[in-house]
Amino acid sequence: MATRRSGEQMISLSIDGRAVQVLPGATIWEAARLLGIGLPVLCHDPRLEPVGVCRLCLVEVGEPKLTAACVRGAEDGMEVRTSSERLEACRRGLVELLLSDYPVDASDRPKTGSDALVELAAELGVDWPARRWSGETGEAPGSRTEPAGGIPAGDGRALDGTSKVIFVDHQACILCDRCIRGCDDLQVNEVMGRTGKGYQTSIAFDLDVPMGESTCVSCGECEKVCPTGALSLVGWEGPPNDAAGSGDVGWEVL
Amino acid sequence: MTTTTLLGELKKRGVKVRRRGERLLLSDLHGALTPELRAAIDAHREELLATLDGGERSTVRSVDSVCPYCGVGCAIRYFVDEAENRIRYADGRESPVNHERLCVKGRFGFDYTSHPQRLQTPLIRKESSYPKGPLSTEVRGERRRRSGGLVDYEEVLPHFREATWEEALDLAATRLVEIRDRDGSGALAGFGSAKCSNEEAYLFQKLVRAAFGTNNVDHCTRLCHASSVAALLETIGSGAVTTVFGDVQTADVALIAGSNTTGNHPVAATFIKQARKSGRTKLIVVEPRRIEMADHADYFLQINPGTDVVLYNSWMHVLIEEGLIDEAYIADRTEGFEELKAVVESYSPEVAAGICGVESGLIREAARTFGRAERAMIFWGMGISQHTHGTDNARCLISLALMTGNIGREGTGLHPLRGQNNVQGASDAGVIPMVYPDYQSVADPAVREKFEQAWGVELDPKPGLTVVEIMGGALDGVIKGMYMMGENPFLSDPNVNKVRKALSNLEFLVVQDIFLTETAEFADVILPATSFFEKSGTYTNSDRRVQVGRKALQPPGGARTDWEITCEIGARMGYPMEYGSPEEVFSEFTALAPSYAGLTYDNLGLTGKLWPCPDPSEDGTQVLFGDRFPTASGRGKFVPAEFAPAKELPDKEYPFVLNTGRRLEHWHTGTMTRRSRALHAIRPGPVADMHPADLEALGVEDGGIVEVASRRGSIVLPAVPSDRMLRGAVFIPFHFREAAANLLTIDELDPVGKIPEYKFCAVRVSPAS
Ligand code: SF4
Ligand code: SF4
Ligand code: FES
Repeated sequence: MATRRSGEQMISLSIDGRAVQVLPGATIWEAARLLGIGLPVLCHDPRLEPVGVCRLCLVEVGEPKLTAACVRGAEDGMEVRTSSERLEACRRGLVELLLSDYPVDASDRPKTGSDALVELAAELGVDWPARRWSGETGEAPGSRTEPAGGIPAGDGRALDGTSKVIFVDHQACILCDRCIRGCDDLQVNEVMGRTGKGYQTSIAFDLDVPMGESTCVSCGECEKVCPTGALSLVGWEGPPNDAAGSGDVGWEVL
Repeated sequence: MTTTTLLGELKKRGVKVRRRGERLLLSDLHGALTPELRAAIDAHREELLATLDGGERSTVRSVDSVCPYCGVGCAIRYFVDEAENRIRYADGRESPVNHERLCVKGRFGFDYTSHPQRLQTPLIRKESSYPKGPLSTEVRGERRRRSGGLVDYEEVLPHFREATWEEALDLAATRLVEIRDRDGSGALAGFGSAKCSNEEAYLFQKLVRAAFGTNNVDHCTRLCHASSVAALLETIGSGAVTTVFGDVQTADVALIAGSNTTGNHPVAATFIKQARKSGRTKLIVVEPRRIEMADHADYFLQINPGTDVVLYNSWMHVLIEEGLIDEAYIADRTEGFEELKAVVESYSPEVAAGICGVESGLIREAARTFGRAERAMIFWGMGISQHTHGTDNARCLISLALMTGNIGREGTGLHPLRGQNNVQGASDAGVIPMVYPDYQSVADPAVREKFEQAWGVELDPKPGLTVVEIMGGALDGVIKGMYMMGENPFLSDPNVNKVRKALSNLEFLVVQDIFLTETAEFADVILPATSFFEKSGTYTNSDRRVQVGRKALQPPGGARTDWEITCEIGARMGYPMEYGSPEEVFSEFTALAPSYAGLTYDNLGLTGKLWPCPDPSEDGTQVLFGDRFPTASGRGKFVPAEFAPAKELPDKEYPFVLNTGRRLEHWHTGTMTRRSRALHAIRPGPVADMHPADLEALGVEDGGIVEVASRRGSIVLPAVPSDRMLRGAVFIPFHFREAAANLLTIDELDPVGKIPEYKFCAVRVSPAS
């Protein structure tokens, strides 16, 4: 958040009926955090520039459209609501869609952070493995290695085990861009980007080569910031199931 | 409120509480958590942890510590499985140093500590294994047993027998005393380690000075920044960095000189790259290799190896000629400018172009960019310091900063990037032959008196010998007994063949380490010590930030902490050293080191403090020398330098120039990183980098095996083409004993800093069958 310079006017707004003052430039998400209100986020991490792609942080600001709190600046006199039936329904819907083709085994992989997507599903009461999209035939979802139910093997996107430290499951990726920003903007290794169009869009290393053959320097930043099982640790157990790391997105740690 | 009613209350409001290890996670999607409820949760923390998830408390606990590798000193949280006494994984944590970032070593390189080869029992060399010499066939050069060159335990261990701590310590102390009493204190010497904590470094030098009775105590700083420190002391009166690396974000220009920053100070490099990317900071990189940093640079000057003095003299020539100097700063804050001016007069960019191999136009442009900057910072590494003219190289950089008024303000300054996690601290703690803690001269009678009083013994007024001089002394028989704490000169010192002879020549050698090192093969007694993770202590990073490394694991078997071992040896040599904890040692040290005054474990907290720290409620001093330098006159001094070529230039017989250094994934002699699963997997062995055209001329394919030979030795390893290299140059990392680069390097020293010329010697490369 911007640091205060003398003479700068504070912005006053209310969130869920509670008043808060922030510096110009602060987002609604930042303002909410000041009040201890943890909005669910997937594509946002305070260390990264917000991009507002996952829409999980939606809030009502008295406009017809819902707005993403992680990118929307706080405005004077704004009245923000962070929960309502409409918001809940939207969030559940978003999570359900994100999980509709999420591989079941991806959430068990060892991670530095946690699988925030799956946690959020539990949080919002989305019974995702059961409601996973099962293709036109209605059969069980495709296995990781064999095509099934009209869905190609690996659900159509690749697994990449070429890196010695990080395992990539493109199918579990929700394209939140956190890894890309971690690699390019924080570590400035500039290895990662996006490639492809439509459903085939994926994160990519260099000019879309396997991670282990790319110029990746194995700093682990991408895995650390990834909120799903798409990037996970190779050869480490990571946290045991009952102990997450530091990446508990949307949860406050005490 | 009971825990049950609290949980009910939370549930009613839709606030979710879960347990993660020893932490509570709260989810409050509706913003229903009132301050009262928060307070109640806090008050019931323990009960909640016990009740939640119906379960047993997890055995995974987090420990807030720092990285054991480089001088960046990243703050790390280790997740420790207590039941198995093992680190499960690591994560960066928030700190002004790294803002949660880590590099591959910090994130994945901790598992060496749990390697089965850890030493657990004191070892004494068997009678039958004298006279001393290298024990493994590989080191004797008889036969290459197998690749993957760590010390072969099966071959070396049988030459030692297990002993009790009593026996081993008694033997060590008795023999050291025997030598001291027979040949005088000057026959003893100690190598401390920049991997050990400030407390251990302090005790180590105290032992050598007070119990051995000599100033022959040194460590690997001699091999990395001794020349930089010598130049800094002579010109601005202090060897420390004048600002922190994070300050680069406020600089207009950053100059990186002789530093492969992304490989050796990876997280510091991220901040420099970020500053460049933000558009705020222009980046100038000067290096003989087109390193990754060069890909980010606005100006990249790929100079011929060893021509730094010429280049920077010509920059200064341009700055003076074009009036891009800070006259007021020169008048108010410096002395000796006229002498410098006279020297750089003859170094026009045109002259420099011929020597450095860089176009004169580019030299001018880069110099102007530097000169026009309102704020400029200079970073440098071993490419500056590890030369026989390393002190001269550093002098030039310092003059450059002085002449443009770039010391003492935010976004300006000198930052020699420190290698080891505690090389700054071990130097601060006095593991240097000429100075007591905090750079107080051993030759100054008043200072000596202060330390004599503090330590209760008479001290030797004569400055001691440096690392390479001590090795020379061992070879000549002047040095007879040595105590080596965590150093492995066998791989790290130049001209290994000579080191081998020197080590064999020692009458008595105590090695204290966590693994059997190449050096331990020459030991009479080996003492199993603890790794970074098994003890607490403070470490001072490149920024001068003093941070607490906290114990995460229990030591294996009978291993003991370094500081305890040092104290035991002292006691047995008739010099009792008694401390209850590292914290006690720290307070004794800070009382004697004015720069550390006021620091305590308590106020260092989770993110440490920069020294000097006049007000411990603040973070410490970021920018030094705002109005005066700690020199006699208070002014910074220009010390001009003339170009002198490297000691061993390429010729017909040895036509290539060898440069040595590190790879991102490995650390020094590899004892740690080669035992780390991930680091080893990423980079399992040595390769030499050469220009593609040179390899082609030799008829060697990518990955083909070559023999690289110098006048001192030869090694065999694969070579790979790299267009980042200049023609006629070879780069070989020094981590790998099966192709030990230091068999080739030359043990010529910088006359002032006494640092060896690791970055330049002549070699021959030929295809090996
Ligand atoms: S591990 Fe590799 S891909 Fe991931 S952030 Fe680091 S450099 Fe980029
Ligand atoms: S940059 Fe240095 S201190 Fe930081 S993680 Fe890497 S080796 Fe450790
Ligand atoms: S859109 Fe705000 S967190 Fe993703």
